[in-house]
Amino acid sequence: MLSQFRGRSTDPKPLSIGVLGVGNIGMVHLKSALAMPDVEVLAAADAVPENRDRAERAGVDRTYDDYAALLATEEIDAAIVALPPFLHAEAVERAAEYGIDVFVEKPLARSTEEADRMLETAQREGIAVGVDHTLRYQPDMVGVKSAYEEGGVGHVPYASITRLNDGPLGRPPAETAPPSWPLDPNAVGGGSLLELGVHCFDVLEWLFGELEVRDATMGRTLEIPVEDAATVLLRAPETGTTITLHCGSYQWEELPEVNTRLRLEGITGTITNQDHLPENFYADAARAALENVASRVGGERTVFGPTFYLRAHYDALADFCEAIRANEEPPVSGPDGRRSLALAETAYDLAAETAEEELEVPEVGP
Amino acid sequence: MSAVRLAAVEDDGRPGGWRPNVDARTARLESAVGAVLEPRRERLADADRVTIVPDAHYPFHPSTGVVTDPAVVGAVAAWLDRELETGLAVVGRSDDRIAFDRTTSYLGYDRLADRFDAALVDLADVPTRNEYRAAEGRSVALSVPEPLLESTVIVVPSLRPTEEGTAAGAVRTLGRLVTSGADSTRTAVAATRAIDPELAVLDGVVAYGDDPVATNVVLSGNGPAVDAVATSLLGRDVDADGALSPLLSDAERPVAVENSDEVDLSAIRERLAGGRLPPADDTHPAVSSAYRLYAAASGDAVPPQLEGQ
Repeated sequence: MLSQFRGRSTDPKPLSIGVLGVGNIGMVHLKSALAMPDVEVLAAADAVPENRDRAERAGVDRTYDDYAALLATEEIDAAIVALPPFLHAEAVERAAEYGIDVFVEKPLARSTEEADRMLETAQREGIAVGVDHTLRYQPDMVGVKSAYEEGGVGHVPYASITRLNDGPLGRPPAETAPPSWPLDPNAVGGGSLLELGVHCFDVLEWLFGELEVRDATMGRTLEIPVEDAATVLLRAPETGTTITLHCGSYQWEELPEVNTRLRLEGITGTITNQDHLPENFYADAARAALENVASRVGGERTVFGPTFYLRAHYDALADFCEAIRANEEPPVSGPDGRRSLALAETAYDLAAETAEEELEVPEVGP
Repeated sequence: MSAVRLAAVEDDGRPGGWRPNVDARTARLESAVGAVLEPRRERLADADRVTIVPDAHYPFHPSTGVVTDPAVVGAVAAWLDRELETGLAVVGRSDDRIAFDRTTSYLGYDRLADRFDAALVDLADVPTRNEYRAAEGRSVALSVPEPLLESTVIVVPSLRPTEEGTAAGAVRTLGRLVTSGADSTRTAVAATRAIDPELAVLDGVVAYGDDPVATNVVLSGNGPAVDAVATSLLGRDVDADGALSPLLSDAERPVAVENSDEVDLSAIRERLAGGRLPPADDTHPAVSSAYRLYAAASGDAVPPQLEGQ
């Protein structure tokens, strides 16, 4: 399969990139790419004029209001697909027509069916597909994995992961119009489970190997069209670990605080991601700042230095670019993204079965 | 002196905490809400139609206290429907952030409207009438949605601070529903004078100070008087509130609270005093400033969330 990728390992030119969609996460990718050595951002596309203006202010020479026009016009090696999920498949298929590799924001697609079509096209046209699953790039998750693999707590019969934020509706005061597509099941394919849960599935399989979904329940704290809370019971057969996953878009978030909790309960103790986070965000930010300022006179620079969760996006994109240059499969590949989707779909199915059972009215005699 | 009537929400002996079932919450509130509506029975009985104006400015979760709980509106509607068989409308207004029908749908007002055969009316889509009312000694030109002028209005505000730091209250809830070239304070004063609501029912079941607090009270009375109590409970000075001062005459002060022995108002005030909404930025302003300074010094990228603020 790798032989299908166009070889660039001997190409001295920088990797040329186009960014499709420069909303919030698209801008993170754009800024990452702009700061990346041996990467050249040629253009960005977004239907929203304000987003194009923002991209131009960030340093992009050319912007398009239609991503298809960018793909047709620009000579790029890779495209970052940071469009809403309902456009992912179309954008990947269009990129494939031009032989452009793609780094796709999660969820890869709205369904495994859509992902399959996308990946078949990619394989047929010989393009690489990477997916932006970033939890595994966060230093706290790397710390957990390292401690687990060192056997620090022995066997881990139980683990739990929680990821919460405030979703598209945000928190008070209400200042800007919330986008409607994240709450549209046709546009995204689901709610919190596809927005946040897929990240958790990815990091859990990275830690424990293949997962099996045993049960699930979905919840809505408001009368919205998609779930804003999901709880999934999982089993990792390889490690004999039972796992609970809870994700939701109902909790107010005030950055830099990010509510991601991972706990591995082992025989001799607990491994938690909290032990691998900076004790004090401000002190860590100050340290990163000093290091980066010092690096201006020589040394290695980090991008988004003080914010580990944005740095994870940078690292994920950097790894993708490196794989493309080396003509290798991206470290978080299309099939990885599809795998997270498949787990989410199983969870939805099991939750629907449970909900149906709960609705059944038992027959009661007079 | 004007008076505000207080009713404590009864403890039904069930475990505390938020109950997601709106019908269960409504049922729990009906006694307290009935107690604060009863004194206005005769005047409300004359109404052909009652327009209920909740604080439904955005679909924040009602358990936070930053919007009116639809269950309080439901309890008001239930009393009016049961006791007076009055025609009902629940109104709000679309703005540049979110459409009213989206807010009401997310907050569960559709079901409530079905239950009480109430109309959900977006005041951005109805005819308006030009009105002129004085505020701070000058005339303010208002464009007022006709339903607010042609029906009996009950305002149901939440007990929370605004972004500016005042109590959200009945007066400012009404001010948001009209259009005017004047500033928000004068607009709120003029709107209250033009609309002249029959009653305000303060949703103090869950209040917001710096965080949500289950305060378990409802209060009713004239809009400015209810707002004066809310302002006091939030630890603000009524005289410092540019909207309330002109609406409360000397003769109406101080505002008395009937049945105040039902709850410990001092404890509520102590819990809520000085509370504010979260800061407007996604990130704390101090973090944003520090980050931009850092980025300028180091050449690092600025996260999009911290741009342009």
